[in-house]
Amino acid sequence: MTSALRKPAPGTHPNLLHPAYASTVARAPTQSLLALPQGPGELSGPRFDASVLYKSHDDLTRQCAGEPLGERIILSGRVLDDNGDPMPNTLLEVWQCNSAGRYHHHRDQHDAPLDPNFTGNGRVLTDAEGRYTITTIKPGAYPWRNHPNAWRPAHIHFSLFGTSMLQRLITQMYFPGDPLLGYDPIFNSVPSEKARERSIARFDWNLTKPEWALGYEFNFVLRGSEATPAN
Amino acid sequence: MSEINTPSQTVGPFFHYGLKWEPGEHLFPDAKTPGRRIVLTGTITDGQGAPVPDAFLELWQPDGSGRFGAPVPGSCAGWGRVFTDNDGRYTANTVLPGALGKQAPHILVVLFARGLLRQLITRVYFDGEAANAGDAVLASTGARAATLLARPEGAERYV
Repeated sequence: MTSALRKPAPGTHPNLLHPAYASTVARAPTQSLLALPQGPGELSGPRFDASVLYKSHDDLTRQCAGEPLGERIILSGRVLDDNGDPMPNTLLEVWQCNSAGRYHHHRDQHDAPLDPNFTGNGRVLTDAEGRYTITTIKPGAYPWRNHPNAWRPAHIHFSLFGTSMLQRLITQMYFPGDPLLGYDPIFNSVPSEKARERSIARFDWNLTKPEWALGYEFNFVLRGSEATPAN
Repeated sequence: MSEINTPSQTVGPFFHYGLKWEPGEHLFPDAKTPGRRIVLTGTITDGQGAPVPDAFLELWQPDGSGRFGAPVPGSCAGWGRVFTDNDGRYTANTVLPGALGKQAPHILVVLFARGLLRQLITRVYFDGEAANAGDAVLASTGARAATLLARPEGAERYV
């Protein structure tokens, strides 16, 4: 069990009702939220070991018989708490569409080809310094029916556990310089510009592998303990 | 000075293959886990009463003796993930959780769905538990306390 967690700064997380994202209108709670105390259940959470990892869990380009189409990328970074302390041995789950902008999902009916060599899901545990690395292909943009001519910017979905249920985070990572970011109601549901910038990866020459793949750095920051850490 | 947190974003509609979890609806695969075996089931509906077919719940609870779990092969004891079906229904197999100090037995439940830009977190308590009367969280919810109670349906099912 961890000690009490700090509240995120105002504007860090989206409001549940954000009419520009049409699905929130019916699904945002109609009654006011009540604050839960940070009890033993809230301040603990599941721990996972390497038995949850599957074949090619961190290389999404090698899970099928052949190689997927698209621009190969290496994505790496650290999971930290908001005190700047690394979060080792924490589970990340990742999923994304293929390079043409189509998810390997029966409900995705976008008229773009499926890639028989790309499923688009992975899992990885952070190392002792909170670091993770995955290899994948850059996902494509795709249209959605939120409003006329609506397009999602390229993004990768991430799910993180941290060490307690109150650190649980599901988010989307975007790519720098994407012209669609300014038009996307989901990205722009985050009120704070600094927090929105937090969800954009950074192109990183040092991670780039010559003749192989471009590199991007993306760090995650989860809620940290309110108490001043003892030295 | 603390660092700004990574913002939450919706899980979207296409999460099933990315978040599939094989023992997800069995919180305690070990048959020797202390506690009475129960099935927790229910429906997720939106603010207009329509079922939500693209949602999932994560559940976290201690075993029947009030102890939180450790990793088990392929998962973690006391944690589960269940997806809603086309009618918005979910089902989880677990044990009745033990009490935690003065808190009545409850399961922590986190809800994710398309259209939710961040998760909702709540507790499920069990109707008829004597300890409910002394639980400060239940008391603090006033008239809405009934919305946190799972009701028995036969000997082993709670709805």
